[in-house]
Amino acid sequence: MDAQALQTIVGVIDKRMTRQVKQYLDICARCAICKDACHQYVGTDDLTYLPARRAELIRQVYKKYFDSAGRLVPALYEARDPDDALLDELYTSCYACTGCRRCMYYCPFSIDTQQIVAIGKAMLIAVGRGQEMLGQLADAALFKGENVEMFRDVLVSGFKDIEAEVREITGDPEATIPVDKQGADILYVALAGAHSIRPAAVIFHEAGVDWTISLFEAANYGYFFGDPEKARLIAKRFMDEAKRLGVKEVVVPECGHAYRVAEIFYEAWAKEALPFKVSHILEVVDRLIKQGRITVEKGRIEGRVTYHDPCQIARNGGIYEQPRDVVRALTDDFVDLIPNRAEQWCCGGGGGIVAIDELRDVRLKSGSKKVEQLKASGASVLACPCENCRLQIEDLNEMHGLGLQVRQVIDLVVEAMPLPRSASAS
Amino acid sequence: MPGAAREKGSTMSEEIKVDLELDLKGLLCPLPMVKVSQNITNVPVGGVIRAVATDPGSMADIPAWAKSTGNEVLSAEKQGNEFVFLVKRVK
Repeated sequence: MDAQALQTIVGVIDKRMTRQVKQYLDICARCAICKDACHQYVGTDDLTYLPARRAELIRQVYKKYFDSAGRLVPALYEARDPDDALLDELYTSCYACTGCRRCMYYCPFSIDTQQIVAIGKAMLIAVGRGQEMLGQLADAALFKGENVEMFRDVLVSGFKDIEAEVREITGDPEATIPVDKQGADILYVALAGAHSIRPAAVIFHEAGVDWTISLFEAANYGYFFGDPEKARLIAKRFMDEAKRLGVKEVVVPECGHAYRVAEIFYEAWAKEALPFKVSHILEVVDRLIKQGRITVEKGRIEGRVTYHDPCQIARNGGIYEQPRDVVRALTDDFVDLIPNRAEQWCCGGGGGIVAIDELRDVRLKSGSKKVEQLKASGASVLACPCENCRLQIEDLNEMHGLGLQVRQVIDLVVEAMPLPRSASAS
Repeated sequence: MPGAAREKGSTMSEEIKVDLELDLKGLLCPLPMVKVSQNITNVPVGGVIRAVATDPGSMADIPAWAKSTGNEVLSAEKQGNEFVFLVKRVK
């Protein structure tokens, strides 16, 4: 490693190492409780994926440059230069981490591995070793944000196609997908795909919600990539749109990290208080069902239904009960996975890993606990409100022959609504 | 498999030699963009990928990816329920 790259990495550590993270590095007792909590270590039995090992790589470099004992006697104090071997391992361990924070939940000191991994990613990005695909996805999102007029016609044309399907499903030729509606109550920030727009549009239409759709997608690959500034700018696209339109509520779709970015992180990143609330779509759907604004009928969903808590919505977002209340409104045959809620196993698909081809084997192995849970549930339908989780569990479903239907919750809701063509909404 | 595009109604794709065909039908965004990106190095510089997707989000995603990575979308056309892209590797 040349001197400039070394200086860059040391500079990143100096800038990003907060008092809190320093304490995490100091306080870890190497008790290895995290080995039993991490789905990735449990599934692979590979030390690279042990949460404490992830921290160890960064601790070694930190000690070499910021700890007097490590600086003077590096061999004795496990201090080390960030050589190519260390950076290669750091790349794998950081970009494989799904940021589920299950290790933190079980750690006796509540060490937040995700904060440590964020420093690892920042070190890698600073020397041009960031994960390329995630970087490309982030840059494409930023390009769309900076050139929204270039894409407006194609996006609106896509919305019109989906609107035609919504009209067919609801039987209402006047059903619309409003765009740029000033003063709407809700700005719905969907994913780029039609699948996250269509069922939400049906639900909003049937409930008589005053809404409008965002020209931007909620997914945030800047967050997965590990660049907080890109992540902020990607989210800023729709936060600025919401402010311009004067909406009362920004609603994010069935996407775990999108919720966490918008609700948990954005105000701190942007250093501003938002003039509207941020909700997950299932909080809204739960509200609409409980207010009697949409009708759902039990018996339309066949088979036992279970529910997967996406880590970014549940353990890291605090949303446990509303999605369960929604699912319970659709069926009498609901069974929870065990464990569940804050103790739920990560499926292994978060953190952007589903877009990283080179980590596919690790990803699939790391789903072993989720496969055990799903088999034990006896369910034939999985309600799963996160895109990355669904992609992962669909792969596990195929690989292990689980015979599950892996469904968006809002698709199940539309299926349970007495509509002219509800079954084809998904 | 490398081959010439034969899609009717796509004048550009009738004229341009295609080096790699990608069937991205059924994939939800951003996966069509991810697959194009993962495969772009499987064609030579100047080579062309013909990708067929069904998710309408790909009509914004793939051109945005191409612009931000310095590659070129030669055409992006809606054909029935499919979205057909010719993507040229520039570098």
